[in-house]
Order: sequence, then C-alpha cells, then structure tokens
Amino acid sequence: MHPFEYIVPSSAPEAVALLAEHGESACPLAGGTDLIVDLKHGPGNINLLVDVSALPEFRGIDETPDGLRIGSMVTFGEIMASPVCRKMTPEIVAAAHTVGAVQTRNLGTVGGNLVTCVPSADIAPSLMVLDARVTVIGSDGSREMPIEEFFVAPRKTSLQPHELLESILIPKNALGKPSKFLKFGLRNGQALALVNAAGSLWLDKDGKTLVEPRLALGAVAPTPLRATKTEAFLTGKPATDKVLAEAAEIAVSEAKPIDDFRASANYRRQIIRTFTLRVLKRSIEIAREV
Amino acid sequence: MATRTKDVQTDTEELVTATESRAPAKQPLIVPADQPVAFPLQLPEFSARLKTPAVGQRATRPDGRLHGLGQTQYIDDITFPHLIHAKVLRSAHPHARIISIDMSAAEALPGVLATLTGKEIPVNSFGPTLQDQPVLAAEVVRHRGDGVAAVAALTEQIATDALELIKVEYEPLQPVFDPLEALEDDSPKIHGGDTNVYTSKVIKKGDVEKALAEADHVFHRQFQTQAVEHVPIEPHASIASWDANGRVSVWSSLGRITLGREDLARTLDLPQSKIRLIGTIVGGNFGGKNEITNEPILAMLSRKTGRPVKSVFTRGDEFISSTIRHPFTMDYTTGVMNDGLIIARKIRLVLDGGAYCSWTATTIGKGSILAAGPYNIENLLVEAYAVYTNKTTTGAMRGFGAPQVCFAYESQMDDIAHKLGMDPLEIRLKNAFTEGSASPTSQTLQSVAVKESLVQASERFGWKEWQR
Amino acid sequence: MLVQLKVNGELRSADVPAETTLLKLLREHLGLTGAKLGCDVGDCGTCTVIVDGESVNSCLMLAARAAGHDITTIEGLANANQLHPIQHAFEELGALQCGFCGPGMIMSAKHLLDKNTEPTVAEIRDALAGNLCRCTGYTKIIEAVVVAGRAMSSTDARP
Repeated sequence: MHPFEYIVPSSAPEAVALLAEHGESACPLAGGTDLIVDLKHGPGNINLLVDVSALPEFRGIDETPDGLRIGSMVTFGEIMASPVCRKMTPEIVAAAHTVGAVQTRNLGTVGGNLVTCVPSADIAPSLMVLDARVTVIGSDGSREMPIEEFFVAPRKTSLQPHELLESILIPKNALGKPSKFLKFGLRNGQALALVNAAGSLWLDKDGKTLVEPRLALGAVAPTPLRATKTEAFLTGKPATDKVLAEAAEIAVSEAKPIDDFRASANYRRQIIRTFTLRVLKRSIEIAREV
Repeated sequence: MATRTKDVQTDTEELVTATESRAPAKQPLIVPADQPVAFPLQLPEFSARLKTPAVGQRATRPDGRLHGLGQTQYIDDITFPHLIHAKVLRSAHPHARIISIDMSAAEALPGVLATLTGKEIPVNSFGPTLQDQPVLAAEVVRHRGDGVAAVAALTEQIATDALELIKVEYEPLQPVFDPLEALEDDSPKIHGGDTNVYTSKVIKKGDVEKALAEADHVFHRQFQTQAVEHVPIEPHASIASWDANGRVSVWSSLGRITLGREDLARTLDLPQSKIRLIGTIVGGNFGGKNEITNEPILAMLSRKTGRPVKSVFTRGDEFISSTIRHPFTMDYTTGVMNDGLIIARKIRLVLDGGAYCSWTATTIGKGSILAAGPYNIENLLVEAYAVYTNKTTTGAMRGFGAPQVCFAYESQMDDIAHKLGMDPLEIRLKNAFTEGSASPTSQTLQSVAVKESLVQASERFGWKEWQR
Repeated sequence: MLVQLKVNGELRSADVPAETTLLKLLREHLGLTGAKLGCDVGDCGTCTVIVDGESVNSCLMLAARAAGHDITTIEGLANANQLHPIQHAFEELGALQCGFCGPGMIMSAKHLLDKNTEPTVAEIRDALAGNLCRCTGYTKIIEAVVVAGRAMSSTDARP
C-alpha cells in the first residue's frame, strides 16, 4: 500500500475534527474489509486513516426508549451473537450472516456496509423494512434521517464532508415485526448478492389484512430500493396468493436490474419475483404464528 | 491456557489410548502446556509408516505434519539478507508492436536498484516444444499478460510505483480472440507466417466417410469448453541470487525443475553447471507451474544488483499471466446403427492455443488420442489444430486435453441414447473397450475394466432406481 | 510507528510503517510465516489468524490496529511435546495436501471448535466458508474438524 499515517481518535468529535482538518487526504477506517482492499489498489491519495472502529459513541447494541440502537461500528459477528438482536431483529441477524465469511464478519461493520453504499449492501434491506433511522455526526452536530435518505447513488451517501455515521435505530414499534430477508448469490458464502430482498408486515386482528407492508430490494437499482409502489398496492389488501402474485409483478417493474457478467437483468427479474413472494409469504406465516 | 487436574488427565489418556489402538507407540494426546513452541518438535511417527509390507497400510503424508504446524517453507516464506523485490510490467494491449520503452523515470525513482527489458535477455525465447515465448516481450506483445519490462526495488511498493513510470510506446495491432476466426485466411497472423495453426494432429483409422454413409443414424454436434485458471492457493513465486562466482541459485515454486534449469541455461546463455535450481513444496500446481515465468528476469536483476531478488505473482497476475486450460471447440459427427453400435466417428478439434505454445503439443496429442472416448470405433478420423490467439497462454492443466473431449463424447453418447430410446448405460456398455481392445492409435489395451466399473458404479448409486 | 502486541502469549514489538498489515508484520517482521499471502484482499483465508478470540483476515487488518491485542497464529497451537488436536486430526485424516491453505484453515477450525466442539457439517462449512482449498475438495478437512472436535471435547481443555 502507499504510505499513510494512522491515528486512533479518542472521541467522535475528535475524529470529526481530524477529518475536517485533513480534508480529502484523510479517510475514516471502520472494519477495513473494503477500504484496505481499495487502498491496496488505489492511487495513493489518502495520507491519513482515522480509525473510528473503537469509538465508544459508535459501539454497542442498546435497548433505548426509542427502540434498538445499533452503533455503526458493531461488527456483523457481534450482531449475530447478540441475544437482543437475535430475539428482536432476527432478519437483521440473518442478513449479517450472509456477509462474506466468518473472518470478514469479525472485522466488517454495519456502518461500514452502509457507508460503502453499494447497491448490493447486504445489511440495508432488512434495516429498511423495519423503518430504520440513522444518526450522523459532523462538525455542526448530529442529524437524523430515515435510512432510505442515507443512500444517494452507488458509493455515495448523504454524508457531508467530514460527517460520520454514528448509529442506526430500529424504532420501538418495528421491533418484533414479522420480517424475512433473502439473498441470492452465485455461492452460499463469500458471494455478492445478485438480488437481495427483505419484507415485513403486520396482519390486522382478523389475520387477513396486510398492515404496514414493507419491501426492500438490493442490487437491482442504483441504491438499495424501497419498493414503495408495491407497498402502496399491498396496504390494506387481503393476504392472499393472488394479491402477492400481483405485488411481485409490481416489484419487478419498480426495480431496475442491469445485465452484468454475473447475471442478466432478466434473470434478476425472475429472482425479484420469487423473492418478493417468499419474503412476504414468510412474513405472513410468522404473523399468523404469533 | 488451562491446566488440568490429574484425574481428568488420566481419563483422557485412557480414552485416547483406547481410540489410538492402531498406534500403541504414540504418546497420549494432551493439549495444554504453558511452554512456547520449541522447534523442531520431535513427535512419534504414525505406526502405519513403521510397518512392512507398507502396501495395504493406511499411510499419512509425511509433509502433513509440517503443513499443520505452519513450518513448511514455501518460496515466499524464504528470505535472505539484502533481499529486494521485483515487479513485471504487463502489456497494455492484447496485440501490439513495441515501438519504444523508456525506463528512465523508473530508474530514477529512489529505491529502484535495477531495471530490465527484453533486449537485455541473452536468448529471449523459451518453451517446452516451440521456443516461441519471450521472457520479456521485446518486439511484439501478444496478450495482456505478456511481460514488457521489470524493475527491482527495495520494497514491493516502490517496485509497483516504478512500473507506473515506465513509458512504453505501442503500435496496436489487430487482435484475434476467437480461435475459429484465427483459422481464417484474413486473420492477423500472431507469430507471422501464413497461418495461426502452430501444431496439429491427425488420427485415421478405417474409412470414416464410407462408414458414415452406411450408418443408420448420423449425429452431429459442436461442443465447447471454456478456459479455466488453476488458481493455486500459492501464487507463482521465485527468488534468484547471483553469486560472485558467476553462478545463479534460483528458488522457485516451479514443479519441473529439470526443465526449468534447461530453460534458464538457454535464456541466460549459461552452462547448466552454473545454475542451481531449488524447488520446494509447491502450494498447488495442477499443471500451471510446469514452466518458468519470472526466473530468468530475477536472475538478470540479481546479477545487476548483486542482491537476492524475489518476485511473487499477485492474484491478478495469476489470472492474466500464468497459463490456463485450453478452451476446445469440438465438432463430433458420429455414425450409429439402430442397435446403438457406433461404427464411425469424425472429430475436429480446435484448441484455443493462446499467445504461445507452452504445453499445447502435449495437450493436442492427448486430446486427439482420447477424443473418440473409451469406445471401440472401427472407423475414425480425428483432426486437431491448435491456433494462436491474443489471449492468455494456454498450457498444462490436469487432464491435458482429456477433460475437454470427455465432455464432448459423453454428451454425445447421451444424445444418441436419447434419440434411439436406449438406456444411456446400455449404449455405453455396448460400445466400451474390453480387454485387448485397440486404442485409436492401435495400442492393444490391457487391464481394461470399463464395463465392470460402469456396472458396479451404476449398481452402487442406484442407476436403475433413478431412471425415469 | 512502534507496534506492540501479544503474539502466541509472547509480547512482541516492531517498528513498521503505518500501512503495514498484520499479515506483513507477522511474516516479515516477526518471522512467523505460517499465515500466508494468497490473494491479499480477504477472499482466500490463507492469512487467517485469531485476534482476541475472533478469526480475522490479517491481510485486511492494519498492524497498528492490532497493537495492544492478543494474536494467535498457527505457530502458537502446538507446544514442545504435542500437536494441537486440530493439527493431529488434519495430519491423520489427510486433510492437508499442498498445505498452503492449512494454517488459515486450522485457525478457522480452531475458532469454531473453541466455541463449539460438536459442530454439524453445515456449521463446519459455514465456519470454513472463508478458507479456500484447491487440493482436497474439503471432504477430509470437514472430517478432520469433526474428529478434532471430539478430541477437544473429551480433553475439555482449551490452550
């Protein structure tokens, strides 16, 4: 790698100040599973790495009055091992499990995955369908937004210069919501998603009508996508095969998959259709079990 | 580390001794101890290794112990005082003439100790059959993995940076990537001359045209196989050290070190007595480490700098610059009688021969002889051609032509069985070699167990039950 | 920068550029060449070591980040008298051919077996998904992990 300096700030404000001071030549370091690879093959214009992976403000999985707060620097391995996540957000655990392999999950962080912001970000769909909100911290203080607003374009988030992702919040009323995540890769492990998908929903008291359905699709649009048209169609409808089949078609039309060396757009559309059906069906089953 | 009570220790020893009854001389297996590892460890041999006769005994690999300890020394694990690192610049084009190479900026980079281009190599050509491959391309580059220049520097990063400072002026030439296109008259001739075919083979037996005319059915299909990269987990690695007596020692992940020394002697124009080539445990070969890659380059850089020089392929280098398996395009025309007997087979094989010959001659030979499959076919014609293309050099990879043709003839057997309404197993049994059958090149085959194997295997995995 | 860390129970230190990976520190500065460089991008797993009880790709971790932490490498498994049960099982069952994937594979197996000495085959596959082997076809590796697990649970000791 080209030479750079390395510094471990002791607080988030100190990290922000360092990044502001050094501008384009400094970069925050989380787990490093993407960044270190980029630095190995990159042009060498980064002179300073600011290691934020152990900042106390960015760590911890905590139950708060507002919901479940996951620090941005929590690793995928920690998500998988967390009793609170396993109980309250099992599909986020399932999504974490599909990232890379054990070694990468012990280094890779939820925040790093979101900030790298590739369309196939594995942790995004399951967070999106639980109405997750993200908190960002910068020189001007902190701000909060729905997770959909965080993703702007491939590899571009709404982080302003020198801002850092601090934490992700699953709102209280989304905890325990029936949900399902699926990922399709060319292998069972260490694979990029051709398509990933998450769904969530409640059923009303009669167990027949869909309430607050959510569908998120990854790797089939410039950013992880909330399928809002599909959601609007499903809201208030009966939870029948016919409705789900129609929803699957709408989801296919909302997505913008591309042809690439991994798969054709057409193949991806078929997966979108199947996954939409499966995540919604499974969510309905879970809702009925309760 | 945990320490243990005596009782638990005894229990464990008994348990382990009971299960280890095949090796009574072995010490019981106890995990803890607070001592750091002291090298070398003296551990008892597995008893199977101590028995005679050894045939029929269950043996363990002698290198398994060192591998498990992490003590095996692969080339990249070896270091010497004053070791420096080399990197090779690869071609920017699949096919181009080299007009000029300007090394001056690279040479001026602090930390760069020497550079090398092809014209400095005493004999800039090598190859197991045709010596058509340059150590470093000097006049023409023929694929993106062709080395064009090399630098030796104090660190790998400096060497990599130096590569970016090398200015090569190319005159791009028309490339050809499809081997069938490369057969055409108007294709660019990658090694000059009037054809891209660089080796061919013909096998003739009986009268194939007459037999095809007499056959009840004629099947034709074209089959293709793809390029495959070996992906040895250990990348190609070598170290060269030129000494003050004018002798060079080379440590290399090369599998065939005798041939490697011949190639070094040739390219460096040195007697073999001045070359010491040390191989070691190779971290995966599969055919891809059968010939030299950077070794002559490192030898020359070591001679220039007076220091040992090491180079390790990046994983990217492995894919574009090390050899790969030949893609085959195979046309099979097979004449079959109503009862499933194959009486004629006409085969055309076109091997994507990559930019250089490498092990293609062996591949085409094996591929041709095995192309008809393990079947008695009285009338046979095999015509095989290896064609240059501007792609990664195709060389040896497990099977050497056998896997490709196997895909073709076995697929066609299934096609034939399907068309004739026959059991795919039955049609193979009907045509398979037996004791004393003649190979396509008239070798009398012995110890032939094709039918017995097929029958036993099909019984074991439930072929009849699986049949729809 | 000066990096101090515990490796296989011993305090070690080296003065290295900040961009040095843990893998390079181990191999080139501490003489521990067991961990290997196979791809340098965290895909092949030959660089796997254990940091504070968790397996990581040492080619993706900066040495500076590992400073102050507890590293276990393949060299720390055996002692002067004994192989670690995993090393023993891998040798006995023929789970090592060219051996290049061995150290990484064994460290990943250790990470699994230290937490669970009776993994299912599916759990073993999941635990070893980050370690590639081109020689063995994985079957004997999986068998060796099962056998090693049995040996470890019967001795009930964790080095």
